[in-house]
Amino acid sequence: MPTLINLSHISKLYGSGNTEVKALWDVSLTIDQGDYCSIMGPSGSGKSTAMNVIGCLDRPTEGHYFFDGQDVAQLDDDTLAAIRNRKIGFVFQQFHLLPQLSALDNVALPMVYGGVAAAERRERAAAALQRVGLGNRLMNKPSQLSGGQQQRVAIARAIVNRPLLLLADEPTGALDTTTTEEVMAIFAELNQGGITVVMVTHEPAVARLTERVVWFRDGEVIHAHMSPSDVSYGALVE
Amino acid sequence: MDFRESLTMAVKTLTASKLRSSLTMLGIIIGNASVISMVGLGEGAPRYINEQLQSLGPNILFIVPGNRETRRLGGLELARNLVLADAEAIAEQVPSVIDVAAENTTPGLISFFNRNANASVIGTNPAFITVRNFTMGQVAVRGNSLAERLFEDQVARGQSLRINNIAFEVVGVLELQGSNLGVNYDDAVIIPITTQASRIVGRTSPYGIEVSFISATARNADSMQTAEFQITNLLRLRHGIVDPAEDDFFIQNQDTLLSIADTITSALTLMLAAIASISLLVGGIGIMNIMLVSVRERTQEIGLRKAVGASRNDILIQFLIEAIILSAAGGAIGTLLGISGIGLLSLLTPFEASASVSVIVIAVGISGSIGLFFGVIPARQAAKLDPIVALRSI
Repeated sequence: MPTLINLSHISKLYGSGNTEVKALWDVSLTIDQGDYCSIMGPSGSGKSTAMNVIGCLDRPTEGHYFFDGQDVAQLDDDTLAAIRNRKIGFVFQQFHLLPQLSALDNVALPMVYGGVAAAERRERAAAALQRVGLGNRLMNKPSQLSGGQQQRVAIARAIVNRPLLLLADEPTGALDTTTTEEVMAIFAELNQGGITVVMVTHEPAVARLTERVVWFRDGEVIHAHMSPSDVSYGALVE
Repeated sequence: MDFRESLTMAVKTLTASKLRSSLTMLGIIIGNASVISMVGLGEGAPRYINEQLQSLGPNILFIVPGNRETRRLGGLELARNLVLADAEAIAEQVPSVIDVAAENTTPGLISFFNRNANASVIGTNPAFITVRNFTMGQVAVRGNSLAERLFEDQVARGQSLRINNIAFEVVGVLELQGSNLGVNYDDAVIIPITTQASRIVGRTSPYGIEVSFISATARNADSMQTAEFQITNLLRLRHGIVDPAEDDFFIQNQDTLLSIADTITSALTLMLAAIASISLLVGGIGIMNIMLVSVRERTQEIGLRKAVGASRNDILIQFLIEAIILSAAGGAIGTLLGISGIGLLSLLTPFEASASVSVIVIAVGISGSIGLFFGVIPARQAAKLDPIVALRSI
């Protein structure tokens, strides 16, 4: 499979002089299209910063980041916004649904910014909700949905623009065991359908459901190709 | 993201928090309502004054003793008064004038049997009725007029009343006129000026019978200026004045009275509008305040929107449109309130206040631009939020 994500000697520094913090230091990492990968590491290891860089939410201080063959390291805000819109879907721990909008409108939101016509938006948003098993909840507001359902709406929103990459930040952090399994099943199914899935997690049980683990510590990649079955061991090492 | 999308989005957001939206609009509503009603009131005032001036009589000129310059300075003057002979001369010698009335007002005690009243005694000549646009009433008179107080429900005509203990016969009662530019002709008796001079005032100046002022009716509207010119010349001749600066009389017509009133009321209107505009401004600042709070509260929403692909402009426009909708809707509601306020003012005051279309257009336009102006700062804050920071905030 071709490479989708190629981080080449990426560093991200905050502050300067004595207070300088190396959030990422000389990180090189490749993730291929179709990978199902989790990023792990203790708090402050740089996994969130790496995730922000990978998601084109943040620019590295140094290095090159080739996403889908394009060097996106130093593009401006609006260009990055357009890339996120077309090629990346986000799922967050706190769902981040807009409370005033229905499930359908929440899912349609990325298409609004993508300039898709209203009729097509409705159709595709409904299809995406159908795909995550919420075909009968189109008009519900987030407050009328359970946590697992809200996260599924968020996943529908992430995939509605048919992205290359699904980026999930602690997607099961706010869910119980049963709904965690449901959500992970959806991720696995989407990955089967060809979407690259990268998730940040610190739950070994969740990481073990993915195919590859990238381990961060102190802003550096310690293991780039860890087997998910070794995760509990890795967690013990930390 | 096109404009219609932004509009529906903004409406959805604003209707989601109705209480906050309406409270935000309140400032603009009050501001707009006060601007429109105050200006409406201000515009009603000259119309009212104009009506009053029209009721003085058509094509009327007032010849008033005194010098225009010294009058303006409010100085004490010992100018020669106008006399009855001046009025008679105007009537006889000025061709562009059809009727001339001289008036002299003195206070008097009026009594009828055991009822007394203090009222003005106006001495004049018969032309008074036509010049001043009065009409003779029927036998009964209504209202708080002298006749009603004295005669109650008796027929006044033919009765004998006493002015300062001198008997007069009532030959007629004037129709109720209402007070006019501060003079209440409903509370006065009108008697021949010669009788007044000899029996009530009891003295004359060396020049003849003094009068308070002379009013004259020009032949028609076009001859007003001619009449003014001719009267001026005649009086200068009679008073022996060569230098116009030494005039001891001056002539006012409805136009000069109107322009004086206009100057005063337009200054008043301007002042009212300025005061009301301040509340409009405060309303705008209120919108800015709430929008700033709203940006802070909605950082997560902004972060999410940016994460899924909203550009800086998309966010900027969204918040600007929200601010404009708030202020324009507030402006529209304020306009309706202002118009009803004008209706109320018309009932409570003699002014026939009215909402002019131009004021409404300007007020709504201004409140809309206030939204735009005061919306810019919060919207820019929202637009430059970093999506990571915004998403992280809880």
